[in-house]
Amino acid sequence: MTDMTTDTLPDDAGDETALHGGAEERKLGFWLTLPAQLLVLFIALFPILMQVYISLTDWSPLDGIPWYQAYELWIGLLNYVDLANDPRFWSAMWRTCIVMAICVPVQFFLGLGLAILFVDDFRGKRVLYSTILVPMMVVPAVAGYMFFMLFQSGGPVNDILSFFAGRPVTIAWLSDPDLALFATIVSDIWQWTPLMFLILLAGMVSVPQDQQMAAVLLGASWTRRFFTIVLPRMKTIIIIAIAIRVIENFKVFDNFYIMTGGGPGVATETISIYIYKVTQQELIWGYVAAIALAILITLSVVSALAIKKLRGAQQ
Amino acid sequence: MQNLGKDFGAFTALAEMDLTIGSGEFVALLGPSGCGKSTTMNMIAGMLDPSHGEIRFDGRNMNGVPMAKRGVGFVFQNYAIFTHMTVRDNLAYGLKSQGVGRAETNRRVGEIAELLQLTPMLDRKAAGLSVNILQRLAIGRSAVVEPAIFLLDEPLSNVDAAFRAVMRAELKSLQRQFKQTMVYVTHDQLEAMTMADRIAVMDHGKLLQVGTPLEVYNHPADTFVARFIGAPGMNLLKGRITGADTGLVADLGAAGHCPVRTGQGGDVLFGFRPEQVHPDANGPLQMIVTTVERIGARTILHLAAGDMTAKAVLDSETPVPDQGQPFRFALDADDVRLFDAETERAL
Repeated sequence: MTDMTTDTLPDDAGDETALHGGAEERKLGFWLTLPAQLLVLFIALFPILMQVYISLTDWSPLDGIPWYQAYELWIGLLNYVDLANDPRFWSAMWRTCIVMAICVPVQFFLGLGLAILFVDDFRGKRVLYSTILVPMMVVPAVAGYMFFMLFQSGGPVNDILSFFAGRPVTIAWLSDPDLALFATIVSDIWQWTPLMFLILLAGMVSVPQDQQMAAVLLGASWTRRFFTIVLPRMKTIIIIAIAIRVIENFKVFDNFYIMTGGGPGVATETISIYIYKVTQQELIWGYVAAIALAILITLSVVSALAIKKLRGAQQ
Repeated sequence: MQNLGKDFGAFTALAEMDLTIGSGEFVALLGPSGCGKSTTMNMIAGMLDPSHGEIRFDGRNMNGVPMAKRGVGFVFQNYAIFTHMTVRDNLAYGLKSQGVGRAETNRRVGEIAELLQLTPMLDRKAAGLSVNILQRLAIGRSAVVEPAIFLLDEPLSNVDAAFRAVMRAELKSLQRQFKQTMVYVTHDQLEAMTMADRIAVMDHGKLLQVGTPLEVYNHPADTFVARFIGAPGMNLLKGRITGADTGLVADLGAAGHCPVRTGQGGDVLFGFRPEQVHPDANGPLQMIVTTVERIGARTILHLAAGDMTAKAVLDSETPVPDQGQPFRFALDADDVRLFDAETERAL
């Protein structure tokens, strides 16, 4: 009885070779596509190889020699040794991780909460839905400017606080080293919660209705349905949403740069702002290449872990 | 169910339905799509609230009782198995949801798995199981919480035609095993005929006839039921009942005259089953053969006379006339069903 349907299933392991030709034809295909493949490989690999090369030198555009002659300034792994001992790099790295560790969970839970509210129909849903998505559409630099204005010591945030406090509040949000990071994080959460919401809502809507109905008929409460049916079925999309935000958060720049320029001091200097400063202000490009490579490797590891998790979730 | 109805705005999905389903009975709600059978079922389950009328379980009015509290088992069209869980977790879902203790849950899951031959695959993921196992699992998942009534929403419509017979047999035997009250919604008269104790034929939101499969087949209450039940359905020819020296006769125009048992005279629809046609060179009826369909054991003749058409199902051994030739046949007077030409109700 149990193997009854195996007969009725289509034979997926069909004859591959009949469709795609024999070994001869495959070899021809390889040679025909080789130039294109090489081109793609070149485009993808060249900047990285160039970066690896430069990172092993002490080259700077002020040295007066073109980049391909940078071997004259060969210093081996010294840039990487410097990097490992660069307190400003590590503090920027650490700060980036803190931003990520606060932004991603907050965005996730806000997004999930909104998705729960929006999965059922209610009056005015469409208008509200579009409104919620607006921050995501705002150019990040403009968002930075908006929050720059909001968090001025005479700005609306302090006005509101003054109203509730009943006395004038003049907090210097952006120039207080302890508060500046908070203000920038708020702007990131404001801007990117909608994306999290959008992805999670899409995932939640795709949970089969009849499964939920079946659970209701079996007497399951809302909470139980949510944790046993909805969330497990959203696992893949949750991993994707979080991975996207983790990687994006690693790259935060625009709003931070406009709101605080990384300051006061280095209080809001994330890894991207640090790289920007080293590139544009200190012009030690060999060192920049080393930092960039280090980040590329870190992000690759994060992505690889996410993909591995994803495969696990889908099986 | 008493005086049950459902309106969607101006559209009446279900007019007035009165139906009593006995304990342990297998009732099929049969009708074409849009006839109100799914609406009826969703109201029993509590997914929809009736516009008027009542649903009672054992005399208890169910209107307003939330679906989780009704004790209704529902088998969905695609079974709605929780494919991200193991078979065991699927079976235990209802018990856990209702706060049954761990030991009790394990015992009851074990029992139902044994009964449904699911024990060997209890710890497998439900994804990728074959469709007949999914059916058993869907039934087991609902049955384990011992619902008062089981509702099945066209569970076989996604199954291969070849495999349906197996599934039908299995479903019927499960129903006997559990002695479970079941309401089965289908548009397939074959499923209804083979499995149900009683069939409720519906059309356009109205319950047309309730009866055992044979009652519905042999004594259709109106022309819709007559046409809908059977494959092919009953032939209906326009005719007039007239008196003759030898008794009552139905005048079927171009097709001839056929003696009948009862009738008060006047216009009627003259019904007979294609299977009950007897070829007879001296028979009273004659129609022209338009198509001959040979389907193995049987041959289906498509017949016409004037603007009337009919079908005859014959044994493939029986010699049949060629296309375009006249076909003469007789009917057993007991097999003839007469319907009022106006109301289309059985006479």
